[in-house]
Formats: sequence, C-alpha cells, structure tokens
Amino acid sequence: MYVRAVPTTDLNRNTEWFTYPGVWTTYILIVFFSWILVLSVFNCSPGIAWTVVNLTHFLVTYHFFHWKKGTPFSDDQGIYNRLTWWEQVDNGKQLTRNRKFLTVVPVVLYLIASHTTDYQHPMLFFNTVAVFVLVVAKFPHMHKVRIFGINADQ
Amino acid sequence: MITIPYLTALTTYFSYGLLFAFGQFRDFFRKIFDWWRANNLQGYAPICLGLEDFYIRRLYLRIQDCFGRPIASAPDAWFDVVERYSNDNNKTLKRTTNISRCFNLGSYNYLGFAASDEYCTPRVIKSLKRFSPSTCSARVDGGTTTLHTELEERVANFVRKPSAIVFGMGYATNAAILPVLIGKGGLIISDSLNHNSIVNGARGSGATIRVFQYNTPLHLEKVLREQIAEGQPRTHRPWKKIIVIVEGIYSMEGELCKLPEIVAICKKYKAYIYLDEAHSIGAVGKSGRGVCELLGVDTADVDVMMGTFTKSFGSCGGYIAGSKELIQYLKYSCPAHLYATSMSPPAAQQIISAIKVILGEDGTSRGAEKLAQIRENSNFFRSELQKMGFEVLGDNDSPIMPIMLYNPAKIPAFSRECLVQKVAVVMVAFPACPLLLARTRICISASHTKEDLVKALEVISQVGDLVGVKYFPAEPEKQEQLKEMIKMD
Repeated sequence: MYVRAVPTTDLNRNTEWFTYPGVWTTYILIVFFSWILVLSVFNCSPGIAWTVVNLTHFLVTYHFFHWKKGTPFSDDQGIYNRLTWWEQVDNGKQLTRNRKFLTVVPVVLYLIASHTTDYQHPMLFFNTVAVFVLVVAKFPHMHKVRIFGINADQ
Repeated sequence: MITIPYLTALTTYFSYGLLFAFGQFRDFFRKIFDWWRANNLQGYAPICLGLEDFYIRRLYLRIQDCFGRPIASAPDAWFDVVERYSNDNNKTLKRTTNISRCFNLGSYNYLGFAASDEYCTPRVIKSLKRFSPSTCSARVDGGTTTLHTELEERVANFVRKPSAIVFGMGYATNAAILPVLIGKGGLIISDSLNHNSIVNGARGSGATIRVFQYNTPLHLEKVLREQIAEGQPRTHRPWKKIIVIVEGIYSMEGELCKLPEIVAICKKYKAYIYLDEAHSIGAVGKSGRGVCELLGVDTADVDVMMGTFTKSFGSCGGYIAGSKELIQYLKYSCPAHLYATSMSPPAAQQIISAIKVILGEDGTSRGAEKLAQIRENSNFFRSELQKMGFEVLGDNDSPIMPIMLYNPAKIPAFSRECLVQKVAVVMVAFPACPLLLARTRICISASHTKEDLVKALEVISQVGDLVGVKYFPAEPEKQEQLKEMIKMD
C-alpha cells in the first residue's frame, strides 16, 4: 500500500525521478493501456495493435532517450548538454538495474508483437528493425558514441 | 523518510507524463508555426536553445500565479497579498490595486522580528538617520562602520566561536566562500539535499564534488573511505583537503542534521566540517544558539559555521564563524569582502538588537518567551496536522513543516484554495525538490497566536479534504474515543 521514497544521491534532476518506486509499473501500465487504446480506436487485430504499439514505442523512446540531449531546465548550467537522457541516467554508470529493465522492455514488446502477428511480413521486418536499433543504442559500448557524427555537437 | 501510497506514485508519474506529452505537442506545433513566420534574429544566435526552458514554458507558467505573489506590507503574522489576474492563461500576470489580508504561513519569520519590534525598530531608525541606508563602499575601502565591527563581535559571541565575518547577502556568502576555502585538488562531500547556494559555490570552486545520501552518516563514512583510498581522479594522489558540507535544518524537509555522528566520522578521517545553519540559528536550541546547542555538539569541533540573518533575525545577510586565523584569511581573500558592498547599516543594527533581545540583554525576558513560543507553536501545529492525516515531514521542535502533495495538479489547487480562504502558503515544486515529491512548506513563527493557528488548521483541513492530500488515516479525537467507550459500556 505504501512505499518508502529513499532520497537518491543523483544530483541530475532530469534523471533522478527514475530512481523512485513505481516507475517500472507505470511504464508497463502505459504500454498496456496504449495497446487497449489502439485496439479500441482502430478496431484492428491484436497483432496489428501490438505492432503499432511497438513502433510508436520505438519512435518515442528513441527520440527522448537517445536523440534529445541536455535537460529541460537551465538550473544545471548546461553541464549535461552533450549527453542524451540514456547517457545521463544513473550518472553514466552502465549495467544498473534501471538500464537492464529498459533494455528488456523493447525485447519483450518485440516478442509479443511478432508472436501475435504470427511472424508475418511486413510487420516482422519493422518490428525487428525497431528492436535492433533500440537494443544496440543501449549497449554499454555505445556510451557517448556518435556514429558518422549523427547528432554530434557543433 | 517519505512514505508514498503506491497508487499516488503511479498517478503522479502518469500526470507528469501527460503534462510532458502535451508540452511536447505544443512545442512541435509552435515550431511549425514559427517556421512560416520570419524570425527577427537577423543572424544572431538564439539565447535559449529551445530545450532549456521547456519546463518553465510548459509546466511552470501554467501555475505561475501560485509563485512570486507580491505582498504590500511587512511579512508579519498577517500581511497584505496583492491580487493579480491574467488574460492569457497565466502567461503574463497583471497586478491590481486590490489587496487581501491573509494569514502568513510562508515567511521565514521564526522569532517574529519581521514586523516592527518595540526594541529593535527605534534603534534601527536611529542608525538609519546616523549612518544612512548604504555605506556606498566595499568593506575594504570605506564600508566598515562601527556597527559592522560590533556585529562581528556579537555574532562570534552568540555562536560561541573565536571570531566571525559578515556579508551583505546570505546566498553570496556560500557561493563566494567555498571557492576561497577549497580549490582544484580538493574534495567536497556534500549532502544530497543541500541548498542551491552550496551547490553553486562548490561547482565554482573547481574541487571534485561527491554526494552522500541525505542525512545518512553510514553512507558518508563509506564515501569518505572510498574517496580517501582512491585519491584524486586521474593521478590518484592524496587529496589536498576534504570538506564535508551539511546543513543544520534542511529547508525542504524540516529535519535536523545528525550532527554528533557526522562530527565523529569527520574527526576520525580528518576532514573539515562546514555547517550551514541558515534555518536553525536563532530558532532552535535552549537559548537560540542553533543546532550545536540543541544536539550537544561542542562548537570547537565544527570548523566553519555559516548562517544567515534573514530567517530568525529579520534582516539580511550572512556570516561565517570560525577560528581567528580562518577569519583573518577570509578577510584578505574573500571577494565578497573585498569587492562587494558591505551590509546596510540599519540592517546590521537590526541584527545587533535582535541578538540582544534573544539573549535577554535588553532587560526583558522577551527572547526566552519567543523561543518557547515558537517551540510550542511548532509542536502543536505539527501534531494537529499529523492527527488529521496529513503527511508532514520534519522533526519535533523544527519550525518548518512540509506537507506532501505529490500530484502536480494538487499544487495549484491547494495554493489557490488556501488563498481564497485567506491563508497564504508557499508551494515547493520541481526543481527545488525532486520531481515527484512536490510539497507545501509551512513556516511557523513566534508571532502566530494560538487562535490564528487553530483557524489556519481548520482551513488547511478543509482544503486538504477538497484536494485529497490526507494520505494517512486520521486519528479520531480523544473525546470521541471516550464517548464511544462510554456508549459501549
């Protein structure tokens, strides 16, 4: 019923909200309810709905986790302006619990989407591209790497 | 320790997610519109990159009327709040000439010196006529008056340290002293919930900064051991010096620092302690001498004691108290002393008179009465709020009590509803506190009377029911419990 909110040592106000209890549950619930929303709005099969959810999840999380850099407020004087949200989480420490959870979610979504569409093309192709890009972007070796200078600073 | 109901945590995340999503949509369409319209930058770079002020534009401006309310009188127990209105959905606020008299639960007026005082005000007016409002000079040039030297002696005496130095601004004290005390090659270990002035001063010093978990001496010891063993970042040489920075009362939690344990740990590992007593000096302790007196810590064990005069003394400015050598060194090197204009003389006189009243040197016992009154008021208010079912933070005897709200929509609801019922409270939202832990912070003063506090409690209880912030079960009244027991018999 009640949970304890232990204060963190993360000074970055952009990422410290991710360390409080209830984030993972909220994330999973948002994904699930968006699936129900897609089903009720488009009146399609469950497999197509999961594919739609998977692809929008890919676009949204790629944009906010791996493309946008910096923080939405100016209090920290721009010390994180070169880092994406993924690179800022947990102070740059790799392979923490939060990072592992966030890496597993696209994979689980991929499995559900491809299972419910019976592994048919073209949905399978798009789902595979989505999970491939997302999982590779979250590798520890990709920390602060900008391929071909895409999204690098001036 | 903050205990959140699990459902509230989920709804708070969802609310912030929704606000964020709406903000992003509006920004997206705004970008499309602005692409069509020509911009008038003429080749200059934009001042703001568009992402930096996202929080201000899309979340803060919506509830802007809850913050920064102008007041039209001294911040006493009752004060005048200027009414404002907005024609464009809170993007700009316009002042009217109407004022409403509200009960003040937001000002740092711990001992009631904010309004006109029978001992302090005549002396302040006399010093205003003699010394004029500004010294028009830095301390080093021509800005040291007899008031400043007397004030430094009195502060050192009050805090029980050999000597002290005063500055014109409390925030600037922290921000200007830390770069002087420590530089590159040093280590600053600061509590995770330290005030922004300490964070900025530490960043400006160039030293390496490590953070330990809020008010947890065991974690401080772990961080100290780890850092001393590792040494400086790349060279692994030993640190030039280590300073541990803690606060006396944390202004957003209202809790006291675990000073005896932290002092013991710092002595063991030979680290310096910097204690920021902005909220505790003058307000806690038997004779108002702050958190060292309350917790029984010898002031000789704390190396640098810092405090401000804005909270309990009704003035402005800050001080640093320490050993004679330290203060002498600061007088030669601190830029706030060498280049900043010195404290305004009437403000200095206000502090001198306030210290005299607190210590009883004005011949009356008003100081002791004020200290007893604030302790009684704080304990009464806190226990009543907890009985009603609110989640109130803070230790006993602390005059700061944050009431947790969590959901972003409850922040403006609570604030506006309380203002309608003539109670003025201060809201604390992101980024002053963590994103999810939004709260309203109540500051009790010695000038609040019991009747006023009871009325305020009724208003807060009503508004709390309306907004839905009573997260804990309320305790039934003792009389009702007795009646029920009698009925059952």
